[in-house]
Amino acid sequence: MTSLRDSCAAESARIEREFEAASDGRRAIQARAAQMDQIVVELTHTLLAPDITRVCLVAIGGYGRQALFPFSDIDLLFVCEDAATLKRYRDPLRNIAQVLWDLRLKLSPAYRLVSECEAFSRDNPEFAVSLLDQRYLAGDPRLFSRLHQEALPRLLARSRSDLLRDISHLTRQRHAKEGHTIFHLEPNLKNSPGGLRDYHTACWVAMLSHPDRIADWAAPENFWPQQRREEMRQAFDFLAAARCFLHYRQGRDDNGLSYELQAAAAGRGIGVEAGRPLEPADWMRIYFRHARAIYSLSTQLLDEALPVPVTLLSRFAGWRARRSHPETSVAGGRLVLNQPELVRDLSRLLSLFLSIAQNGLKLSREAEEQISRALPAAVESGARVPGLWEPLRQILLAPHAPSALRAMHSSGLLVRLFPEFAVIDSLVIRDFYHHYTVDAHSFIAIENIHRLRQAQHDWERPFSAIFSELEQPELLFLSLLFHDVGKGMPCDDHVAGGLQAVEGVFQRLGLEAEEADTVRFLIREHLQMSVNLLRRDIFDPETIRAFAEKVGSPERLKLLTLFTYADIRAVNPEALTPWKAESLFQFYVSTANYMSRSLDEERFHAAAQDQHIQRILSVLAKSATQPDTRPETQHDLTAFLEGLPRRYVLAHTPEEIAIHFQMVQQLKKSDVQLRLSKREHWYRLILVTTDRPFLFAGISGVLAAWGMNIWKAEAFGNAAGIVVDTFHFTDPHRTLELNPSELQRLEQNIAAVVSGKTPLEELMRGRAASQALRPPKISVATEVRFDDSSSSHSTLLEIVTQDRPGLLYHLSSAFAHTGCNIEVALIDTEGQRAVDAFYLTVQGRKLSLEHQQKLRDVLLAGA
Amino acid sequence: MTRIEAIIQPSRFEAVKTALHEIGIEGMTVSEVRGHGRQKGHTETYRGREYEVDLLPKVKIEMVLPYNLVDSAIQTILKHAKTGKIGDGKIFISKIDEAIRIRDEERGEAAL
Repeated sequence: MTSLRDSCAAESARIEREFEAASDGRRAIQARAAQMDQIVVELTHTLLAPDITRVCLVAIGGYGRQALFPFSDIDLLFVCEDAATLKRYRDPLRNIAQVLWDLRLKLSPAYRLVSECEAFSRDNPEFAVSLLDQRYLAGDPRLFSRLHQEALPRLLARSRSDLLRDISHLTRQRHAKEGHTIFHLEPNLKNSPGGLRDYHTACWVAMLSHPDRIADWAAPENFWPQQRREEMRQAFDFLAAARCFLHYRQGRDDNGLSYELQAAAAGRGIGVEAGRPLEPADWMRIYFRHARAIYSLSTQLLDEALPVPVTLLSRFAGWRARRSHPETSVAGGRLVLNQPELVRDLSRLLSLFLSIAQNGLKLSREAEEQISRALPAAVESGARVPGLWEPLRQILLAPHAPSALRAMHSSGLLVRLFPEFAVIDSLVIRDFYHHYTVDAHSFIAIENIHRLRQAQHDWERPFSAIFSELEQPELLFLSLLFHDVGKGMPCDDHVAGGLQAVEGVFQRLGLEAEEADTVRFLIREHLQMSVNLLRRDIFDPETIRAFAEKVGSPERLKLLTLFTYADIRAVNPEALTPWKAESLFQFYVSTANYMSRSLDEERFHAAAQDQHIQRILSVLAKSATQPDTRPETQHDLTAFLEGLPRRYVLAHTPEEIAIHFQMVQQLKKSDVQLRLSKREHWYRLILVTTDRPFLFAGISGVLAAWGMNIWKAEAFGNAAGIVVDTFHFTDPHRTLELNPSELQRLEQNIAAVVSGKTPLEELMRGRAASQALRPPKISVATEVRFDDSSSSHSTLLEIVTQDRPGLLYHLSSAFAHTGCNIEVALIDTEGQRAVDAFYLTVQGRKLSLEHQQKLRDVLLAGA
Repeated sequence: MTRIEAIIQPSRFEAVKTALHEIGIEGMTVSEVRGHGRQKGHTETYRGREYEVDLLPKVKIEMVLPYNLVDSAIQTILKHAKTGKIGDGKIFISKIDEAIRIRDEERGEAAL
């Protein structure tokens, strides 16, 4: 025993020295398997007999593949002809196992009758998988031949589908646990996506996918596509070297590639040609390249062998993809290019990725390579592509956007369009919390938002509700995509770096100034909510006030809250605990409430806010259409801003305020100034005029009469009685879209009603009949709440009720008929619920309790 | 040996942790918890719905220390967790009979 232990230790040391010298992992694992073979054969001859019959010893699993890592388990199968033989030899066989244990080898023995090897056990599919790599060691060769040529082919003939299904299930489960990404900062070389387990999965699936060849027991690599074999061989060699390095370094079967071990392996040039030392980040980029090759082939083979269950919906998705892209077809759940030359056309290429974003189909590896090759012809790197924002916007909004973005990144298109993204490609940033590379983190953050469409947990639902209310969710996605590019730039502050880099993106996309400003805001402030949650008392009114001031508008608050949610959740799977999510939502609620309840109280005083004035003056002076540098402008602007709610100034950009101011100046010519513009799928009406009774009711009445659906509105007034009202509405009957000339007539109608030239009742005739035809889909109970504490001179009325056409007209008419004046209004819609806040006065004072009761009765009666 | 359990405001956690590290206390168990003492909670109305904020977020720090570090740990927590407002939290102190490190079965203060 002593001599066996000594020779075993000597041989192990020799293999380790050889690995230390050459870092050849493949050679080391084969040498260790050969060493075990010799020991097992010797023990069999000694403890049983050289010519024993009816019993044989078989190497299975990794040992069967002759790929025995330094501290891996040794899977050994003792096969017997029948139960009597097993009973007779049980003790000598156990003795062999005992000796191996005494040699401190980690043995996983299994004892089976040859007939038992034919049966597939659903409880232990791993054993059937390990039999796929069986190899004769010692004992009765005829018995092994029966196992090899008869029992196992019978098992596979009967249970091939079950086995494939179990391999697929176990693999998908393992990938899901790891977030379906290879880009982990501290990956596990064996179990992470793209690790050695996936390499072997590709072997097993390839073998099981060729049932007619199973009895040949050919090397499974021979079934892989020819062009993938070399990259898989290189990937295996790299991972084998890295895993051997880890085992020797740790002295145990530890496959976690921690930061410390990455640095050590990179310094030794493990797996690198000629053992050239590298920086850890560069070495990890090589790792990710190999992991990507393995992950891609293993998932592709799984998809081909066992596609995700075909549902009517997925059939439809495939049909839709083929219909919109006849140059593509779907094979094994993957998109294949029938006419690869067509993707040299950028618009076709983008439309292909849009189809992926809509249908969730993956690109085949070949298609990905064909696209990579076509890129130089399709688009110049970093070129300005006219109209690029629209297809990118559609991709970002589509439900499978993360899949499309990942495919765009893998094929090189994303970096080609936005070279700013290249610096975070597979970038490892070492900290204690992040699990993913920076690019993967950005995609996962976008995925976190899309997943809110189908919230799984109660604590996710409030965020789903916020998501459904966003005006331009595409701006959130765009910000998430680029928020961390600064991490790959040579600067100390990644936020500043990101802001600098994103300017080039804006130029290339041709983003509107307002949109670019929102993205800048999100990138600049993307850590603010986390910082507040971590370091400030979020129940302290001063914390809320300061934060609300920084954010400015409820829309930006929604965007920033969702950004924070997605960003924290993309750090690692456990980073966003329900505790943190609830705290984040509470912070959001407190800030949103502060914003609406402080609206009337906090007014702008121009004398104390000179920096705002100067910024707007600078915009006016640079105006492309009408530069204004007159000396009296400052005085007029100050007069306009005086007494407006502070929220008005915080929520609007200097460019927007400059437009409002220009409209104010036009009041001398005409006392109603209107600006009606079409946005993405909605319209915006800005009205500037002097305050008067029935004003808000009049405008909402005209819009209702035209069948428009107001989903958001604001009304602000200054100290001089000038009001700036903004209405956001959709056109459900497409009146304006199909008849563009009607836009002008709508403007004329509004101006005529506001100035009293046309009675509203005339326009409203006929509305009641059409409303009666549309019963609400869901019922929302009306709630009316008065608050006298939020403002020192107005009463806040919050009303939640069923959204319906003409609602705002009915509410504002009720105010007008009960003698109430709207000081400030905020109108919002959440699906079928209208959520409105009005600051009301009666003859310049708060509403008395009697007046509140009267108004409540009128509102509830109207509901 | 003494067990210290401190329930503090989340916003003070980073400062407390850093200060404990500075006096040589590295080992601690930290949990995100919710609760209230006399501070109680409050109700927020948002978009017509009422949200009970009756259990407020807190951070719980637990550590077992040799006697010679207990006073300085308590003073450090008091200094850095105190804002003077309701809701600053509590410190609970109790005696520990034995500590065992699972890896090598070492016992007593040596296991801390």
